[in-house]
Amino acid sequence: MKKKDTSASVSSVLIRRPIKHWFPLFMGPMLIAFCIGFLYPFFKGFYLSFCQFRTTSDAKFIGLGNYLKALQDPTFVHAFWYTALFAVVSLVLINVLAFAVAYCLTQGIKGSNIFRTVFFMPNLIGGIVLGYIWSMIFDGILMKYNTSILLNSTYGFWGLIILIAWQQIGYMMIIYVAGLQAVPTDMLEAAMIDGASRRQTLWKITIPNVMPSITICTFLSLSNGFKLFDQNLALTGGQPFLFQADGSQVRTTEMLALNIYNTFYGQGANSRGIAQAKAVLFFVLVAAIGLIQLLSTRKKEVQQ
Amino acid sequence: MAGKENTMKKTLTVLLIAVIALSSVFAQGATEATAKAGSVYWLNFKPESDAALQELAAAYTAETGVAVKVVTAASGTYSSTLTAEMDKDAAPTLFVVGNAAGVETWGDYCLDLKGTKIADELSTDAYNLYDANGKLCSIGYCYECFGIIVNTDLLAKAGYKLSDIKNFATLKAVAEDIHARASKLGFDAFTSSGMDSSSSWRFTGHLANAALYYESVADNWTACPATIKGTYVANFKNLWDLYINNASVSPKTLATGGYDAEAEFGTGKAVFYQNGNWEYDALTSKYGLKDSQLAMIPFYCGVEGEEKAGLNCGTENCWAINSKTSAADQQATMDFMVWAVSSAKGTEILAKTFGAIPYKKAAAPANVFLAQANQYTADGKYVMTWAFNYTPNVDNWRAGMVSAMNQYDADQTAANWETVKTAFVQGWATQYAAANN
Amino acid sequence: MIDQKKKLSAEAARKLVLTIIFSIISVIYVYPVILVAINSFKVNTFVKTDTFAFPHGESFAGFANFVKGMTFGNYPFYKSVLYSFVITVLSSALIILCTSMAAWYIARVNSFFSKIIYFLCVFSMVVPFQMVMFTLSKTADTLKLNTPWTIPVIYLGFGAGLAVFMFVGFVKSVPLAMEEAAAIDGCGPVKTFFSIVFPVLKPTMISVGILEIMWVWNDYLLPYLVLDRTKYMTIPIHIQYLKGSYGTVDLGATMALIFLSIIPVIAFYLLCQKHIIKGVAAGAVKG
Repeated sequence: MKKKDTSASVSSVLIRRPIKHWFPLFMGPMLIAFCIGFLYPFFKGFYLSFCQFRTTSDAKFIGLGNYLKALQDPTFVHAFWYTALFAVVSLVLINVLAFAVAYCLTQGIKGSNIFRTVFFMPNLIGGIVLGYIWSMIFDGILMKYNTSILLNSTYGFWGLIILIAWQQIGYMMIIYVAGLQAVPTDMLEAAMIDGASRRQTLWKITIPNVMPSITICTFLSLSNGFKLFDQNLALTGGQPFLFQADGSQVRTTEMLALNIYNTFYGQGANSRGIAQAKAVLFFVLVAAIGLIQLLSTRKKEVQQ
Repeated sequence: MAGKENTMKKTLTVLLIAVIALSSVFAQGATEATAKAGSVYWLNFKPESDAALQELAAAYTAETGVAVKVVTAASGTYSSTLTAEMDKDAAPTLFVVGNAAGVETWGDYCLDLKGTKIADELSTDAYNLYDANGKLCSIGYCYECFGIIVNTDLLAKAGYKLSDIKNFATLKAVAEDIHARASKLGFDAFTSSGMDSSSSWRFTGHLANAALYYESVADNWTACPATIKGTYVANFKNLWDLYINNASVSPKTLATGGYDAEAEFGTGKAVFYQNGNWEYDALTSKYGLKDSQLAMIPFYCGVEGEEKAGLNCGTENCWAINSKTSAADQQATMDFMVWAVSSAKGTEILAKTFGAIPYKKAAAPANVFLAQANQYTADGKYVMTWAFNYTPNVDNWRAGMVSAMNQYDADQTAANWETVKTAFVQGWATQYAAANN
Repeated sequence: MIDQKKKLSAEAARKLVLTIIFSIISVIYVYPVILVAINSFKVNTFVKTDTFAFPHGESFAGFANFVKGMTFGNYPFYKSVLYSFVITVLSSALIILCTSMAAWYIARVNSFFSKIIYFLCVFSMVVPFQMVMFTLSKTADTLKLNTPWTIPVIYLGFGAGLAVFMFVGFVKSVPLAMEEAAAIDGCGPVKTFFSIVFPVLKPTMISVGILEIMWVWNDYLLPYLVLDRTKYMTIPIHIQYLKGSYGTVDLGATMALIFLSIIPVIAFYLLCQKHIIKGVAAGAVKG
């Protein structure tokens, strides 16, 4: 993963070994908190997915039953494809726009600071509130056409995309700005002297040097897209529902996190165990996708 | 090589220290728990009553020295908050188990209240919840009455008297006439029937209950039925059509709601407003309406013999004592409950906060709607109980109804009403099957 | 000469065009936030029915919404602000300090163990909160990490993933040559880290800091489940309590409180803008 430097042996002695001695100071605090705050709850959550439980302390082990039920649940499968589509569309839209905006705002045009603040502002408002605000806006507009965002899945989908793009472009823009500012100026100057066009400079020099930012932003928008919950709940709540003849309902704009949440408090003696199983499956799927994406973009990064 | 050994040593020492530190914390936690005397921890269901309950708790502690903690769950999160709190070292000793589904889930955390001191204080068994084995899991601590609130002054201005409305046919005539003359009168018949989460429960819950109630009586329900027939869904439609087509807002805008029906009624813009007795406080103090202007009529929906109907009374607020806490805590909790429903201070605060409480020594509430509910019962009219407490999965069923009704509101065709009927009938059956496989 | 001049004026023209375009986009972009601000001065009933209109006449509520929001319930609003502040500052500081050190370690000591930790951190970003929510609440309760002073440990644990991921990415922008030079000069790792790596990572620290601050400041679920709410509340919890049990939301007061909670963050961000520019110009020594 890391490019082999020519002075590998030198850095190993000078840098690597001394740091290793200081392991408790550098890694200690983070590791302890990480175990308490993530690893233990995660593995316990994993264990709970094989159980029937009401509170985490009265769990009864029942084996793979929850996983079978989770996979047989049609709402889960629907939510997965819907969420995957959403994540991909939002990823592309957000990153392309965020990069474009960051690029323009690092050109030294007047008012860059104000613009950067403006683009970042949406991120200041939390999820559920954002959903309410945009629901007011969308319906304010859609009411004129006698419809509502709760009545049409397509409007629901694009509504969510607009909402998340609006919120996250500023977020990603910050990262891209930091990355763009780290592009070595000597390389840019050299390119200018060599007479490279704007587009060539962008593709051959800027982008490869901004790869760390691209890796991070792509991964973040992918995982944010998959994990979206508060805004989904507040904007559509999964509506409109399509009713099958047997009375079961397909919540057409329900994404994975909302599906898991609804399962938690849903029907059945063991709805919580099934919800845990779904959460584990969710994690495995998204981790796999994310890993593939990470490995492919990390390869292209450049170490100074 | 020596370097590596050193690092290993350092790591191990740090880990060892961490483990020791953590275990000492655990040990401390354990001893703390056993040394405590009985105390009460009430996980409250209603955010509005938080302030009053804190007052109640403080009064009890001042009088007896027993610690009482009241924590309120945020609106709509009772189930998840209870799950999290029950797991903690200091779990709630007094919590709410409000309907059949709640008994299913938390049944074995409930102490059997049969024959206990608090059960002796009850004035009626109508609000008790039992589990499949007959254990008394929870008892009501307040009850509410729902119906259609009427502004009698505006009704008079339109030329009608309250006694003119005896059943659905008469209600329909009055409402449609008022709606037709709305611009001349300056007010409309019904308030808006928004379908957002702050308001939809009135229709997917209490209005739909009319249909469920009549079926529960006709088919003699004693427990949650696996399937329902939807015999009275047409009557539900009668009232729903009346609500949405005789208001000042277009039915097509109801899906996202956001209307303030209470304000519409309070500022005299509509004659009829469906809600419960708890509105009395807001209507009189915030909007200054007078007792003489307020009345509540039952859900007349076109059923044979409904002239004898009374209000829709029931509750989802039922107390349960945690059977998994220490005996000292359980006793302390029971003592607190008895005090709350029988002492002067306790009954005064409860009456002010909740209105009607089903206990022998309850203070008389000043609430006009409750007085009316009692009057209906005294006149021999039947109470429309909360049959929706039998719903296998309340949230899912109501969510399905909301979505179906939204589609119907946008386009009032027979096909769209069939969707509502599917959500009503088949939705119940599917959810029952899922909950009981 | 003339060519140079032409190039410069073409540059200037292009920049002007961009400024204009962005000004227009900015106004549209910030509109929803302005909507929150406008609606916080409107009477509650008009917030949904006249969402886009300016408050005037009977729909103007002055500061009534703010007063209502701040005095609602029996918990003083200023305390919620205080605790939100404490939790956010402590958590962010803790996260930035500990994860930057850990990230430097991971990037430089490229051992099997550190790679495992890195992957665990990356995976932690993908875990949905519901999966660990109840266990986390129980763990916090058992370890008594349930006060505003100790909850930052949980935030460090759950938020370490993202921060480590980002820092590792940017540590690569710190030239090894500089660290080697420092080591040759006799600096130990601690000195090297704080005097050389830390300053170069400043822009990244501010970016990560902003992300963490935004997350912790707006976080509702974790403090709700973990803190003893009769003693400690945060702003998001306070806003949530404006929702009555019958689902009614006092929209005017909610908007007012949201508006109040946005102001400190905007102020903080505006302050940091200056540091980002300073940090990049002065601190980053390239080549």
